[in-house]
Amino acid sequence: MKRVMVAIFILWVVATMNFVIFQIVSPIDPVGVILDPRMPPEVRDSLRELYGLNRPMYERYLIYVKNMFTWSFGVSFRTMTPVVQELSYRLPATVLLLGSAMVATIFVGIPVGILAASRRGSKIDVLAIGSGLFTWGVPVFFIQLLFMLFFSYYFKAAFGFALFPVRGIVSVPPPSDAFVYTADVAWHLAMPLLTLVIGGFGFWALYTRNVLLDALTQDYVVTARAKGLSERTVLYRHAFRSTLPPIVTMITLGIPGIVTGAMITEWIFTIPGVGRWYLNSLMASDYPVVQAVLFIYAILVIVCNLAADILYGVLDPRIRVGARR
Amino acid sequence: MASLFTKEKRIILRRRIGNFWMEFRSKKIGMFGLGILIFFVLIAIFAPLLTPYDPIAKERIAQAFAKPQWVTVFPQYKDLPTTQKEVSYWNAEEGSEFVKNWGTTATVLYDTKARGTETVSVKLKDEISYLSIPPNNFYVTFQWGTTQVQDVEYSLQLKIQDPEGKDYVLWTQPTSKESVSQVVFVDSTNPFVITNLGYPTQTNLAEIIFSQKGEYALLLEMRFTPLSENARVQVTVEEGELIILGQVHGVLGTDNVGADVFADLVYGARISLMIGLLAAAVGTSIGILVGVIAGYLGGIVDEVSMRIVDVLMCLPLLPLLLALVYIFGKNILYIVLFIGVFGWQGLARVIRSQTLSLRERAYIETAKASGASGFYIMSKHVIPNVLPVALASLVLAVPGAILFEASLSFLGFGDPRVPTWGKMLQYSYGFGGFTRLAWWWIIPPGLAIISLCLAFVFMGYALDDIINPRLRRRR
Repeated sequence: MKRVMVAIFILWVVATMNFVIFQIVSPIDPVGVILDPRMPPEVRDSLRELYGLNRPMYERYLIYVKNMFTWSFGVSFRTMTPVVQELSYRLPATVLLLGSAMVATIFVGIPVGILAASRRGSKIDVLAIGSGLFTWGVPVFFIQLLFMLFFSYYFKAAFGFALFPVRGIVSVPPPSDAFVYTADVAWHLAMPLLTLVIGGFGFWALYTRNVLLDALTQDYVVTARAKGLSERTVLYRHAFRSTLPPIVTMITLGIPGIVTGAMITEWIFTIPGVGRWYLNSLMASDYPVVQAVLFIYAILVIVCNLAADILYGVLDPRIRVGARR
Repeated sequence: MASLFTKEKRIILRRRIGNFWMEFRSKKIGMFGLGILIFFVLIAIFAPLLTPYDPIAKERIAQAFAKPQWVTVFPQYKDLPTTQKEVSYWNAEEGSEFVKNWGTTATVLYDTKARGTETVSVKLKDEISYLSIPPNNFYVTFQWGTTQVQDVEYSLQLKIQDPEGKDYVLWTQPTSKESVSQVVFVDSTNPFVITNLGYPTQTNLAEIIFSQKGEYALLLEMRFTPLSENARVQVTVEEGELIILGQVHGVLGTDNVGADVFADLVYGARISLMIGLLAAAVGTSIGILVGVIAGYLGGIVDEVSMRIVDVLMCLPLLPLLLALVYIFGKNILYIVLFIGVFGWQGLARVIRSQTLSLRERAYIETAKASGASGFYIMSKHVIPNVLPVALASLVLAVPGAILFEASLSFLGFGDPRVPTWGKMLQYSYGFGGFTRLAWWWIIPPGLAIISLCLAFVFMGYALDDIINPRLRRRR
């Protein structure tokens, strides 16, 4: 319960920061932008009402925080559509891309890590360590640009067609047949997905390897070996089982980073997702959208942190939540 | 600095650093990283010696998307020419009695004494030999002026004559009676120039004119029509240039405006190093301070700083920093500050827990008992003991900061006034580097980012190995 309170507190801080940044510090007068003369009068009135523009600063602030917490993000300056409605258009592409990327990355990374830990010093161990260091030093967007250069542009120059498309999530016009449509989406997502996996699996491989190596030196593993259990049983039943809590926690904690990081992926491959929407809105000073997306990102981080804490307690009963340093 | 320490302390310090260095030297991967780092530092320091071009000025020195010069070793590119720059050397071709001097600059003094009142034409000729495959761009620039204009109408025309004697009019000064002073710049891709010659606007004029190898000439033709017996005018042609833009250039070719890519790359090392080190230093300093103070003082200070850490950990950093940079302005110092100020939370937690355990040690109790102030204990006993951890964290924070800045720049939120590797990637992505297959513009900045970051990662890995001996030799 204390953690939930902390989460709400943090959310309030984020909302306040949003308010300070966009309504006080911002050089573009929000009142001026919102009261664009081209807007229809009824929209203008409802906006005035929503933001309390004719009221003093502290009242505006209270209204603002209330709006944020009640999911009333207002209307996009650019499209005049409610932000929540626009969000629902953008969400599917992002969820599809990130969901599949996350799953694929973990399903490549963790097995590599397990293999690396079980065969210390082998080639796969070098791969795990190398790819782990790689994730620290290599910008994923550069891998993506390279893939784009070679598999789309050079491929097209050499063979007359691109192996993977460079933009969008579906062909224009979209195919009508459901099966073809699915295949088309998969074809469009292949390159973003592949590059995200290449850029990200090393982190999981190295992390799993280190956690598992730590577990393999524990006394109970020595005991299990001494009992004459097969190496497979020791590895999967005993050692790997104990590494699940930290790995699951790490996955939960990693979700927000992947979501915000994929902003660049959406930018490069022109994927009509939330990240690209955010960037375009920011560049166009469409502040309602920017604030809403920032707030939603913050919620996502907070929820993931909370979930990580709870999951850790569930998976590892020895840990009392709140007792960690 | 030396006066800060007593002699004994200096000896101890030197010995500690010496031991540390001995250990570090035995880590191959760390030394490898250090080597790469030194390489980049040298590049950053000697950038002006490595390239004569200024990355900010974006001088057009070859055609857009010119390949690197060394590709000419491959047979399919062996004919590609570099930029040919011809400084004018004017000779009198016609009406030489009026040409007062010739050479890189020329003066023509017309008056009615020599030929009376007939219309006179004077031709200056500048010979140029072009011996490469047809180019895609050229431009001519020169400065001219008339003085002492008196009772005369004059006109000028600039032409290029190809080896077969065919003329192409590039520029015309219509008949005038006034004195004029102007700089002429004729670009072969200018649609007015192209349509004046009767070609459709998209025509590659340079290719048509310089279609053969041989002797070309620039002709500057002047016509003088006297209006009275005392007609007189002096025409001065200052030094001019014909530049036929090369299709290969330098170490790494050119970008979309024909500017040198290698200069961008070399100067980018300065910015990346500066951003990485400064931002990491800012973040690490805040992290040490907050961690030590929170851990040592405890109580409300601890509670408040750890809540701040909690909040910072929950911020979506990339989108937030993008918004901040957008609102505060795309300034390199802001970017450094933002990366630093939002990047200390993890270290603060680690340092705090270290401080918590240090606080219980006997020597600190002793110091406390002998009346040392909290500030004294923190600065003399706690901070020196957490420094190794902070050093490893500093080294590992640098690649993070470099990558972060590269991402910002790539998304168009970098400082527009400084050349950075991220910006090179942004431009190559946004301005046709991909459709033109300009690998020399795309791959080098990325590889530079990767190798500089990996240098720090390797060093950090080695440092971690030394500082956390628990992990050592575990495999």
